[in-house]
Amino acid sequence: MATVRGCNLPDDLFYNIDNNVWARREADGTLTIGMTAYACSLAGEIVSYTPKKVGKEIEQNKSVCTVESGKWVGPVKAPVTGEILATNPDVAGKPGTINADPYGSGWLVKMKPSNWDADSSGLVTGGAVAAGFETKMGADGFGGC
Amino acid sequence: MTTWRVIDTGLRSAAQNIALNRALLEARQQDASPSTLRFLAFEPCALLGYHQSAEQELNLDYCQKQGISVQRRITGGGAIYFDETQLGWELYLHKRDLCSADMSAISRRICEAAARGISSLGVDAQFRPRNDIEVAGRKISGTGGAFDGDALMYQGTLLIQFDVEKMLRVLRIPAEKLSDKAIASARERVANLADLLGEVPSLVRVKAALSNAFAEEFGVSFAAGELTETEQTLYADALAEIDHPDWVNLHERPAADRPTYEAAQKFPGGLLRVSVAFDRAQSRIKQVWFSGDLFLSPRRTLADLEAVLRDSLAASLEQTVSDFFAARAVDMLTLTPADFVTVLQLAIVQSEPAETRVTAP
Repeated sequence: MATVRGCNLPDDLFYNIDNNVWARREADGTLTIGMTAYACSLAGEIVSYTPKKVGKEIEQNKSVCTVESGKWVGPVKAPVTGEILATNPDVAGKPGTINADPYGSGWLVKMKPSNWDADSSGLVTGGAVAAGFETKMGADGFGGC
Repeated sequence: MTTWRVIDTGLRSAAQNIALNRALLEARQQDASPSTLRFLAFEPCALLGYHQSAEQELNLDYCQKQGISVQRRITGGGAIYFDETQLGWELYLHKRDLCSADMSAISRRICEAAARGISSLGVDAQFRPRNDIEVAGRKISGTGGAFDGDALMYQGTLLIQFDVEKMLRVLRIPAEKLSDKAIASARERVANLADLLGEVPSLVRVKAALSNAFAEEFGVSFAAGELTETEQTLYADALAEIDHPDWVNLHERPAADRPTYEAAQKFPGGLLRVSVAFDRAQSRIKQVWFSGDLFLSPRRTLADLEAVLRDSLAASLEQTVSDFFAARAVDMLTLTPADFVTVLQLAIVQSEPAETRVTAP
């Protein structure tokens, strides 16, 4: 577990740092996708969540879902290209779950990656996570989670 | 000094204005446009927040009869009525313009600058968290934002000669809210620039006041510009998507899932009535209207409490109310913060099936 400026960033996950999202590779090769604790801190309490439909093919860096907090609306972008396999009904009923448990019950979508080996080369994992987010937080002028 | 663009897209339909939101935000995200201040005006329309449903928020029969178009914004927040009596203002920025990625800090910074601009016209406008600008507790501007990658758009209204009664008829609110007394009470919650100044200000003057305030806040100058070719192309694509029932009906939820509950209770400090627009799926208070036979000083307290309760979780009600009163000095005779919690709970308890309700003592 890396902690950067007070934000938890588990180092066993794969991050697209620009998009501020994580992906967890499950045993069957599918991915679970979510917002980082850092992204949640920037957004504040999330009050709405609208995922893309199951079965839809999403390109890398395109929206997998739309979230709203404090009257701000914006996309959460796919870390890799793939098909949406599932959306999270618990988050739909209680979007604040994303803030409360961003790496657990607050997951956003599950995806089947189209080309994990190629797309994942730009993702950051392990020991590089802390430095990558430290740089981003510095650029964002972020005080801390 | 850095120069940003200012454009004025004039009076347009809601679909055109929202399509321009999308196009200009996309162009900013692609770095195909400079940071921009846009002024805009709307033909009469009801505008839903991005995640709202028309059936839940609007009196659609009234809108149809009155020729009021219905559209969906790309920004969050609640439904509003917009027409030629209001001015729209919007900023399209890159995150590097802001030195912060914290969304509430960005809202605050932009709203405080806008409030200074409005104040320079001769009123005392202040930012009221989370997203309003008010004058003596009366809302004069509502705001919201959208982001896409490193680009963001933040937009606000400015009430100049706004017709509150028309707004009440457009929004789906309880019939009793349309009584003369209720309309008068709603009028007390909003402020029109023309009323405050005693004359209708020229739009040139109002736009200059806002431009100057944003220029000062961000340390930039503004130069008048036009839409670029890239923006025109993105606009044509966006308009095709947005001027379409599929966009307007993107979220469809039955009106029954967003009921309004009423409650009233007599306390030693006075009679307190409340209407609560409630989201049953999320157990969330969407909006609250207080009324009753009460003494409160300052008078703006009720409007401020309504603002704090908007979009708050029912489960956090006691904490929200107690934090609100702890943060300010309010004289309300023998009325107590707990009385507000009691009457709100009496309203909200109606969302629970009758057999599981715990009756108030």
